Amino acid sequence: MKNDKFYKRLFEIIPGLLTWTTIIGLFMLAFIRPVWVAIFVITFDLYWVIRICYLTLLLVFAYRRLGKEKRIDWLKESKAAGCVDGLEYKNIYHAVLFPSYKEGLDILVPSIEALEEANYPKDKMIVVLSVEERAGDEVWQNALSLKKKFEGLFFHFIVTRHPENLPGEVRVKGANATWGAKALKEFIDSKGIDYEHVIISCFDADTCAAKEYFGCLSYHYITNPERTHSSYQPIPVYNNNIWQARSIARILELGSSFMQMIETMRLEKFVTFSSHSMSFRTLVEVGYWPIDMISDDSAIYWKCFLHFNGNYSVIPMYVTVSMDVATEKGIIPTIIKQYKQKRRWAWGVENFPYVMMGFRKNKKIPLAKKIRRGFHILESHYTWAVWAIIITFIAPLPLIFGGGLFRQTAIGYNLPSIAAALFRVSIFTIFVCMFISVKLLPPRPKDVKPRKRAIMLLQWLFSPIVVAFMGSTPAIDAQTRLMLGKYMHFYVTSKSRKHTSSK
Amino acid sequence: MKNSDKIKRMVVFYFSVALFFIILPILLSYSLGYRIDYKAMKVYKTGIIFLNSKPSGASIYINGKMHTSLTPAQIEDLEPGVYKVKVRREGFYPWDEELTVRPNMVTKADSIILFPVMQEMDKLNKQPCRDFAVSDKGYVYYFSDSGLYRSDADGFDMKKMSSYAKWPKKIIKKRFSPDGDKLLCFNEREIIVIYWNLEKDESLDGEVARVNEILKTEEPIVDVFWYTGSGYIIVVTEKYINVVELRGGGKRNIATLYKFGAVPTCVAYDSNNGSLYFMDRAKDSFSKEGNYLYRLDMRQKFFDYLMQLLLKRDTEIPHEKR
Repeated sequence: MKNDKFYKRLFEIIPGLLTWTTIIGLFMLAFIRPVWVAIFVITFDLYWVIRICYLTLLLVFAYRRLGKEKRIDWLKESKAAGCVDGLEYKNIYHAVLFPSYKEGLDILVPSIEALEEANYPKDKMIVVLSVEERAGDEVWQNALSLKKKFEGLFFHFIVTRHPENLPGEVRVKGANATWGAKALKEFIDSKGIDYEHVIISCFDADTCAAKEYFGCLSYHYITNPERTHSSYQPIPVYNNNIWQARSIARILELGSSFMQMIETMRLEKFVTFSSHSMSFRTLVEVGYWPIDMISDDSAIYWKCFLHFNGNYSVIPMYVTVSMDVATEKGIIPTIIKQYKQKRRWAWGVENFPYVMMGFRKNKKIPLAKKIRRGFHILESHYTWAVWAIIITFIAPLPLIFGGGLFRQTAIGYNLPSIAAALFRVSIFTIFVCMFISVKLLPPRPKDVKPRKRAIMLLQWLFSPIVVAFMGSTPAIDAQTRLMLGKYMHFYVTSKSRKHTSSK
Repeated sequence: MKNSDKIKRMVVFYFSVALFFIILPILLSYSLGYRIDYKAMKVYKTGIIFLNSKPSGASIYINGKMHTSLTPAQIEDLEPGVYKVKVRREGFYPWDEELTVRPNMVTKADSIILFPVMQEMDKLNKQPCRDFAVSDKGYVYYFSDSGLYRSDADGFDMKKMSSYAKWPKKIIKKRFSPDGDKLLCFNEREIIVIYWNLEKDESLDGEVARVNEILKTEEPIVDVFWYTGSGYIIVVTEKYINVVELRGGGKRNIATLYKFGAVPTCVAYDSNNGSLYFMDRAKDSFSKEGNYLYRLDMRQKFFDYLMQLLLKRDTEIPHEKR
């Protein structure tokens, strides 16, 4: 037990320590060994350019796949899949869980309306709206009014109120989701439905699922022999308010969407993110979402991974779920909001000690798999925290602090031109992002001027600046907090939306 | 993931890894100044010469061979050693230098100035003039027989400022006042001050500038400086250091601050700390004669001392003579 505490702290410290050692070490070396830093910077720049070219190609592959698969009538496909292991589309129920805090009707109604518009029989859909008791009576009244409005449309509509301060819980979304899932279990038990016949989708309050989402999910669930050892991940896009959002927020959120699309091509690293789906049987078996972790979306994946001794994967679905861009009216509040949201995502680094502790205890997972997956988590968070800092702030340091002698060396002389040449190579990836971002845009609302379309393209010119300042800092912040044992609390990204009508 | 996607991804992945490991050694060795002789299969160290000239676009010759690029240029792949470098441009004097190239280092000659062989001269004034002064505010002042004129730095916007024409002969120096409103000129015996930016009541016959003959001295003048505030000048003659008040016409307030033991050989004024430095002949503690450097502190303390001197002199002059 004492050992456990020690190892847990050690694994909490490792990511932050690696990041800070890199940053401080390179900073110090820029004074005493500028040539070493210059060699490192050129090596890293080259690695980074090749990496982003590689990732951009994966993005193009994923985009093409999305383009092809979004035209498929997935309900028809799931009907055509027939009956596999006693499962067919007719006997599958979709439970859609919305853990909600203070989101108003302007956010929740479109999310439920999206379910109503889904190309899937509504009598096979159960909606669960779990609101926080601490959010107050108004929120609860809203939930009841939603139940009143929509309950006739679906197989069942559950509203439940998550009490505050339950034993072992902290104020995180996972606790509310778990409460909602338990309410759902009661209903399913009362109806005697087999848990394996229920697929639960845990959505953010602002998540609007694409029309084909449930058909696609059913198809993958039926045809996947490892259906209960898999989570199902759609592609998140941030289209709900993208025309109204600030450019900086759009760039960052589109970047997240692109990263998620890229991840669908790298299944060995693929982890659930934001809104996702899974077998209800699996959820009950693993004991629901963690009730004390902020990053519940990825933590549930790791919980399942450990529970099934590494035999758990994420199946990508090339259908979209649309969410809100975290934006505000002013530029500074938008930056703050984005920063806090990205920091919360970066807090996913808490999975590293969680997974490593799980690996220590679980002897059934092959060592090679443990090393590979542990390295993936560490590498992804480490790279997130240092890459923008190295490229933007460390790269010029040898020239600034290296002194006259360094500037007279061939490498000192060549460093700026080589870095600039590599940067120019990477520019083409911005054009690819421009193209795909425009293609993913929803129709322009009537009240938005046509010139906004040009802004949607030109905004990408600012991406190097945005990335320089917002690329690494939230991750450094999160890792430093974890390293120092100053644990984060769940920051709810507030949501409000202007009502606009599509053109 | 579809199998075709998996295959595509693996191809791209391994291609990227291979690309990294192929490019990296080439890039690093290039950055560090190493080159490969593919014929001899040998790696050798090189250096770089960087040349830049004003004007740019000059031809470069390395050991007599013309280089393909013009300045500014970076000449790479040079083996360590000494190179005869010539920079040539038609109509300009050539620049020749021997530059040493060291391994993995850059030899820079990036501030070469090529001077034109025949520079085209601009005649600024149409009438002849006896002397001139150029201010740091971009004006040229012409002392001509028909008066004082002023133009901008290119000779345009010529304007007559005063009809004064009795300029001292053989002007030694001209100094602009710290406030930029005055110019003092002096020769061996005479000091004049030119004022501009005049108030209406200071202007005579509507002239823009006024020239005042300040002082004629019996002993030769060594140097004249503006004292802080532009209201006084420090006049150093071969015998005395005097401070002359500019205000008021006729008899001016003059205070003698120092009497030299010998003709001063060197005088300097530091306006930042209000100190006058000069050499004078004196004896040391062993009665041995030699030149010593003195500093006259002329800051606020000096001003109080000056006021006392002037007051004392005023009280010594009989009332009717004042």
